[in-house]
Amino acid sequence: MKFARSIYSILALLSAMAVFPARAAAQDFFPYPVKKTTLDNGLDILIVEMPEFKDVLSFNMLVLVGARNEPEAGKTGFAHLFEHIMFRHKFNGEPNGYADAIDRLGAHNNAWTWFDVTFYHPLTFTANLEAVTRPSGEVIPGLLELEAARFTALNFDEEIFKTETGAVMGEYRKSAASPRLAMSEKQLALAYPDHPYGHTTMGFYDDVIDMANHYEHARWFHSTYYRPNNCVLVVAGDITQEDLLPDLVAAFGGWEPGDIPAVPDLDPTLNGEKRGEVPWEAPVPPRVSVSYLSPRFVAGSKATAVGQVLGELLTSESAPLYRLLRSEKKTASSLHLSATEGFGPRLVELDAQLFNDQYADRGTVLVEEVIDDVIAGCEDLKHFSELQGAGQLLEMVKSKYKYDLLAQLNSPANVALNLAYYYRFERDPQVLDRLVRSVQELTPGDIEAFARDYFVADNRVVVTLAPVQQ
Amino acid sequence: MRTYLLLLLMAGSTSLGAKKIKLLVLDSPSGMVQVRVMVQAGSAYDPPGLEGLAALTAEMLIEGGFGPPGEPVTKERLAEITRPWGSAARPNVRVEKETSTFRFTVPLEAFEEYAARIMKPMFTQPLFATEELDRLRKETHVYIESTLRLENTELLGLYALDNYIHEGTPYGHLPEGTVQGVGAVAVGDLQRFYRSYYTAKNITVGVSTSDQQVHALIQDALSRVGRGIKAKKLRAPKASAAPAITGRQLLIVSQPTTIATGIHLGFPIQVGRQDPDYWPLYVVNVAFGTHRDSFGRLYSDIRNARGYNYGDYSYIEWFQSRPFALFPPPNVPRREQYFSIWIRPVAHEYAHHITKAATWELEHLIADGLTAAQVEQAKNKAKVLYLNLAETAGRLLSYRMDDDFYGLDQGYLDDYLRAIDRVTVDQANSAIRRHLQSAHLKYVIVTDEEWASRLAEDIAAGSNAKGKGPAEYNLEGHEENGELVYDIPPEMEEIISQDQEWENHPLNIPAGNIRVVSSKQLFENARLIEP
Repeated sequence: MKFARSIYSILALLSAMAVFPARAAAQDFFPYPVKKTTLDNGLDILIVEMPEFKDVLSFNMLVLVGARNEPEAGKTGFAHLFEHIMFRHKFNGEPNGYADAIDRLGAHNNAWTWFDVTFYHPLTFTANLEAVTRPSGEVIPGLLELEAARFTALNFDEEIFKTETGAVMGEYRKSAASPRLAMSEKQLALAYPDHPYGHTTMGFYDDVIDMANHYEHARWFHSTYYRPNNCVLVVAGDITQEDLLPDLVAAFGGWEPGDIPAVPDLDPTLNGEKRGEVPWEAPVPPRVSVSYLSPRFVAGSKATAVGQVLGELLTSESAPLYRLLRSEKKTASSLHLSATEGFGPRLVELDAQLFNDQYADRGTVLVEEVIDDVIAGCEDLKHFSELQGAGQLLEMVKSKYKYDLLAQLNSPANVALNLAYYYRFERDPQVLDRLVRSVQELTPGDIEAFARDYFVADNRVVVTLAPVQQ
Repeated sequence: MRTYLLLLLMAGSTSLGAKKIKLLVLDSPSGMVQVRVMVQAGSAYDPPGLEGLAALTAEMLIEGGFGPPGEPVTKERLAEITRPWGSAARPNVRVEKETSTFRFTVPLEAFEEYAARIMKPMFTQPLFATEELDRLRKETHVYIESTLRLENTELLGLYALDNYIHEGTPYGHLPEGTVQGVGAVAVGDLQRFYRSYYTAKNITVGVSTSDQQVHALIQDALSRVGRGIKAKKLRAPKASAAPAITGRQLLIVSQPTTIATGIHLGFPIQVGRQDPDYWPLYVVNVAFGTHRDSFGRLYSDIRNARGYNYGDYSYIEWFQSRPFALFPPPNVPRREQYFSIWIRPVAHEYAHHITKAATWELEHLIADGLTAAQVEQAKNKAKVLYLNLAETAGRLLSYRMDDDFYGLDQGYLDDYLRAIDRVTVDQANSAIRRHLQSAHLKYVIVTDEEWASRLAEDIAAGSNAKGKGPAEYNLEGHEENGELVYDIPPEMEEIISQDQEWENHPLNIPAGNIRVVSSKQLFENARLIEP
């Protein structure tokens, strides 16, 4: 019966958030206290007690490493490769020892990599934190021991390394029929010609093929970036700080810190519009991507706050640009905005998919028209306050932003993810409160200022993809 | 500050008289009310030649305008009205073979307004504006003709197998429809579909509150569903059982820009959630091919030990939203199910080899069964999956709807942990013997145009099935009498000899059982392949 109670608990969180929306005022938006400890070796530990999620343990390690830490030509994709190799740890010196032990213990265990972060997020029952003795007498190491072992003393060899390069190649290949991947590669190369942000986390295809030949580099890469002062441990769920912290200190306290190479600063402007075309061998509908370089993430800053609501202002169903392209002119079958927060300046991207039949009639004229419309839609925000009801509109967008973010905090895993994701920038446990507050304080003038500063031609990358005429 | 609230979970349904809508209640005091409206009609109910009618009807209810014709709630107006209540207040719908499920989340304090301005007119006064039908039709064509056929190797393979397994039955086309079917749907067809299936007795509503006023508002909003339009009723579909497979059949699909080969295989099984063998077979499948997890044997042998691809999994029921979803989305219940294996793309040159490997794995699972230790470990793994399946209130509510669809006495998630605990090694092995087989299989291979015909020849002839050897595993060697001799470490010996066993393992697919088609020939109409 003890498991069934977790259902009640899951509901309790949703209720706690929704019944008292007034509590979600800017002062205490995040519904849980965050208990932070920094070890002598620089490892930050955040504990979020969520006892209503009975028996649930979400144990997350965030490593500040991604494509951004791969400046060397010919050696891209290594951060992502380690997301794989970390699962191949030879626990107790045994091949596949870590994975076998996790399988015997029972956990959902996965990870992902992005431009400047790799995130490991095992999920299991709280009882599995410490060693478990099965009725057969078999003793299975607990999750704490297993995670500490692979992070503080990863044991892998050349054979494992080479096998995983094959799996990474498979990961690249499975997506290669996608026009989106090719467009991203073109866009990043144009926006960041001299910076490791210029490649996807997967790495360049040629580098992925060549990866198996760089075992020594892999060892160097790991010992450089997998250091406690480059990591954040976030534990959420049915645990208490009192019980857990001494064990975490014992398990991770001996991990040696290291010097993390600085990433060169990035010029926050492009000094001129960049344009690129991707010819495509299959008769897919043409695509248009318009991006602007925008400032790095700073919780509480105006620019970051505006970045949070751009999607709602530009590409939501009610946005004027969306309506123009999807309903009035019907030139686009889809329109999306994506903006990822980063340590350095990142792109705010609007991408539209066009229709093949219109393209057959009008060709590049159609493509240019959509590009111009998207640019004009962005630049219209320079006069946002002149819109009728602009103030009211912005209030509604702010409210929606808050509710949507709150709705994401619906389980220990999702709470830990959102906290870790934003915490990493300034190592501030109150980051979500500051972020939400800054959004709530936005004025129409702030929207205009952002558009004036960043939605400019000199800051723009335009990439188009169209089928090669057969 | 933490807030503790006492929760009541009220299981079960409240059927309130003949014309009332059946309500399934998950009693949460949350101020955000989640609603699911499940209509028992999906793509299997599409009339021949009008494939896509169920999907278009459902989408047109939301986006085709509703309310008084003089003052309609257009899709733009709908976005405007729901905007302040958060993204989830904007209704969306998932159409699958048997059902169309509408979903929305509404703040409790806005529910009355929502019911009056949106829920009631949407379900009782649809306008089905021609212009919106044209737009949705076009978007579906883009999805089928480009996204599915040309842009995603895995999506194409998954749906090609789904259609292939169900060839010639009402299940045999995409939930979105076919290119020709979608093109043929007219407003009158939408009206007929709506009139036929959007009826009080055909609808079940799930709601995440026990608030009686909300229940009354839902009853009121839906009480006149289907009556606002006069139209001739459609005939219910014929039986959907998948056709029997004779021997091993292979469909090779070429896709222009793929750089790797995806492999799929399957066969129908008759093990629903209500079957006593469901949980034993579930545990078997966890051991064999847990979705997107390193636990299963397929993954362990093909990816983990050998690095052929990104992942290898198996299924005992339909799993929606692949390739991306990590856990099965609920509200896609099917009466007809099949067992399947999904091998994510491998390098073209290993396609034949890994097709053999997947087949060998299935044959050996059947021949060898599982040991007691393997079953225990799989049960342990299966239990942890519960944490994700039951992660949110929305999932709990949706599973409850599916329980009702399947007619389960015990809720799927309510009983999940106990049901897995009860599985014995004997049950697992007899479930394998009773339900799994490898003699009659359907395979789908998605590859590029050049490899398609080559693979067909190689597989028919049983030739060129080489896998990785010492060179491909990057082993070192030394020279002996002018020849390179590899130094094979002991731990690699078994891996390499297993590859050799796969290479020599017969697939037994004669040329007459192999068809090679272009992705353009699929999804065109109700037939599996357009010549």
